Amino acid sequence: MPRAIRGVLIECEPAIKAIIVMLDRANNNFIVEDLDDTHLVVQESMLTLLKQQLDTELKGTQLPDELLDDSE
Amino acid sequence: MPPKRKAATAAKGASKAGKSSALSTPGPGTPRSLEGSDQVSTPADEDFDPDTLPEDQKKRDEELGKAADEFVQDWDLSSRRFHKTVGTKHVDSATRYFGMGKRDYSYLALKPDHHNRPLWIDPDKGVIVLERFHPLAEAAADFLVTIAEPKSRPTFLHEYSITTHSLYAAVSVGLNRQDIINSLERFLKTPLPEGIRLFIESCTDSYGKVKLVLKDNKYFVESVDAALLQKLLKDEVIGPLRIQTGSDELTKSHAPTMAGLVIQGTKDAAGAQQAAALQQGEKAPAAQTENTAEADVYAVLNQDDDDDDEQDVVHAFQIPDSAVEIVQKRCLELSYPILEEYDFRNDKANATLDIDLRPNTQIRPYQEKSLSKMFGKTLVGVTAACTIKKGVVVLCTSSMSVYQWRNEFLKWSNIDPKDIAVFTSDNKKQFERSTGIIVTTYSMVTNNRERAHDSKKMMDFLQGREWGLMLLDEVHVAPADVFRRVISSIKSHAKLGLTATLLREDDKISHLNFLIGPKLYEANWMELSQQGHIAKVQCAEVWCPMTPEFYDEYLRSNARARRTLYAMNPNKFQACQYLIRYHEARGDKIIVFSDEVWPLIQYASTLNCLAIHGGTAQAGRQFILDQFQHNPTYNTLFLSKIGDTSLDLPEATVLIQISSHFGSRRQEAQRLGRILRAKRRNDEGFNAFFYSLVSKDTQEMYYSAKRQAFLVDQGYAFKVITHLANIENTPNLVFPTAQARRELLQQTLLQIEKGLPDDDKTDDLFGKTGSRKKGGVRRVAGTLGELSGGQDMAYMEQSSKAIKQKRKTERNPFFNKLSREKEKARIAARNAQ
Repeated sequence: MPRAIRGVLIECEPAIKAIIVMLDRANNNFIVEDLDDTHLVVQESMLTLLKQQLDTELKGTQLPDELLDDSE
Repeated sequence: MPPKRKAATAAKGASKAGKSSALSTPGPGTPRSLEGSDQVSTPADEDFDPDTLPEDQKKRDEELGKAADEFVQDWDLSSRRFHKTVGTKHVDSATRYFGMGKRDYSYLALKPDHHNRPLWIDPDKGVIVLERFHPLAEAAADFLVTIAEPKSRPTFLHEYSITTHSLYAAVSVGLNRQDIINSLERFLKTPLPEGIRLFIESCTDSYGKVKLVLKDNKYFVESVDAALLQKLLKDEVIGPLRIQTGSDELTKSHAPTMAGLVIQGTKDAAGAQQAAALQQGEKAPAAQTENTAEADVYAVLNQDDDDDDEQDVVHAFQIPDSAVEIVQKRCLELSYPILEEYDFRNDKANATLDIDLRPNTQIRPYQEKSLSKMFGKTLVGVTAACTIKKGVVVLCTSSMSVYQWRNEFLKWSNIDPKDIAVFTSDNKKQFERSTGIIVTTYSMVTNNRERAHDSKKMMDFLQGREWGLMLLDEVHVAPADVFRRVISSIKSHAKLGLTATLLREDDKISHLNFLIGPKLYEANWMELSQQGHIAKVQCAEVWCPMTPEFYDEYLRSNARARRTLYAMNPNKFQACQYLIRYHEARGDKIIVFSDEVWPLIQYASTLNCLAIHGGTAQAGRQFILDQFQHNPTYNTLFLSKIGDTSLDLPEATVLIQISSHFGSRRQEAQRLGRILRAKRRNDEGFNAFFYSLVSKDTQEMYYSAKRQAFLVDQGYAFKVITHLANIENTPNLVFPTAQARRELLQQTLLQIEKGLPDDDKTDDLFGKTGSRKKGGVRRVAGTLGELSGGQDMAYMEQSSKAIKQKRKTERNPFFNKLSREKEKARIAARNAQ
């Protein structure tokens, strides 16, 4: 029987996509379908959580490790 | 011993407690109290020990380092003694933009004609802001560069800061307190703040009052102020050190003057040569300043206004050679830092070296300016040697630059090649005549290990005699303790430090101030490039987005692997290829820098270019350099960080850096320096290019911004390029498909797994720097049984590389997996937060 999941299409830079894929890897609860380098479908219910986690992750990407360790 | 020293300072503080200041700074305003502070019960036993052991030396080094540190702090302008708290401040809605009133200087009243004056001042930090667009800016800048250190010099507003050292430098070039204060008052838009005035007065009063002079091979402590010398003599550390010369009277003599000293190659020199020609038949011009008739001729030619104080009487007393360091340190404690002076024209004890600049040598105006204050680079060094005309020791960082220096001397001066000797690990010759020039490296001189017989002999020769001038190349690189050892082991009258970038990541520059002397001159890069002395450079930062595969891997990797990943980013590859192709088509010669060795090799082999890195054989390096310089088919050269310094490639006009050493501002400036001397710089419309390729969304962005700070302060503007024009339609770029990119990633990961080759440790393109041991035969006494394992001798792997290799291969894949999982769990935990 086919199953329907409500999803949201996301268009983003390849780098952001890579972060989302990485976040998804933890429990496989974000991504419904990985379309191409810049497009993804994610579960609608998880959207706010995803945004939140993405924000915290982005803060850290450009900082060197020493600074990251301090903030943790 | 250190605790005793501490006690001395405390005593000083106590005796000063009557003053409102709570700080126990050895303020020059209170020299009277110093006589009272004679409770210092330190006969300094160790210091008197003439044959110091190496440990003593080390301890003393440490102490001196600490003393210098303390001294630097004491003399900071932020020290509270220079500031009175300003009363309640006006608070309004704008206050929060000015550090909650901390940076509110509205209480400094503007002068009515403030628009005619170009300077602003921050009374707390001693920062002066110059309006570069002001008609008076030129004059103000000339003045400021002598009394303050330039902090930042972009197009319109320049920032300078007044520090003790900058004032010290101002005093040592002959400015006096009143000159400084009057000129500041003239240029400032506001009246001179009281705190700054106090600061200037206190610094200029104490500095340069006492001089240490080497005359006829004896050290004298000199001062114009007899009372001051008497005070020093009463000091119980310095007093007993005096060498009694019969009477108790202080020796009187005349102050040496600038009159008659002509720096060769300058405009004055031409006139002086004519004058000398008129008076031929007398003695050689350089040695006869006492001959007043001739000195007058020179003085007129020189147009120096310091002949007024020609007749100043100087008082002096003699101290033994061994006590120099102690006296210097004691005077520092008494807040009368000693200025070292060398009256080289009256030095008849040391043989005069026959050296002159070649007549066709023209010193560029900025070099002349820096030379009258004794600062600059190679030619400045050569000219200084020609001016002093005594034995010279040149210390540089690598054996390659040793030869470069030698060649420079031969090129610019008429010195006899026999008089210039080279002292490196494979060349130890002495000059044949009584004096000459020796070029060597820091590591040769400071080497503590057992020396070969001939280099020991050479060292004894170096230490055994007196030198007129010590030239220290690249002063900013060697650590402070190396300098201390060099300076204490080789006796020289004058020291001249040369550097293109006086910038250290550890801010130990302040120590140089005490070891060598204050910074005397800093050229303005922007002006130099406008005048065509150095090339105009277009700086650009190119942002290369990470490809998804690489970024995915980047997010999962540890710090070491990340550095390789963002260097290997395929988009960066393409950008690099695009830029190389573009500039080669224009006929440029390109250097590509990479700190990471493995990516460097990959880039070079993928793009079919020449490369030099730590692993390149010595013989091959010179060959590759020659190819790059002279062969029109090879226009691009990849260099690891061994090429950062000490390499002159005037052919290069474009510089691309694909990976760099974290946030090192010095490296950035040094790399830029590689193209500043471009041969074609004087062609019309010529521009050199400096590209920094940065992988987007990675740590590189952060480091890149940090690295640029120094160059931005010098007035360089970095253009950010987010997209190279037409790159997507460029044919034949490397890694065009996702497939190729994935292959590159696999290759990279494999390499990371295998263990990356260590970074190039050798800072030196041509020499063997210290650590490498010479392979040689060693003779050991023993029995045959021992050698065949009959005794308890076991085989051990000596080479550390082999040990590492062994350890790596020994590691079970299971543990590798375990650590990978641990890493993943760590990232997962961070995400869950």
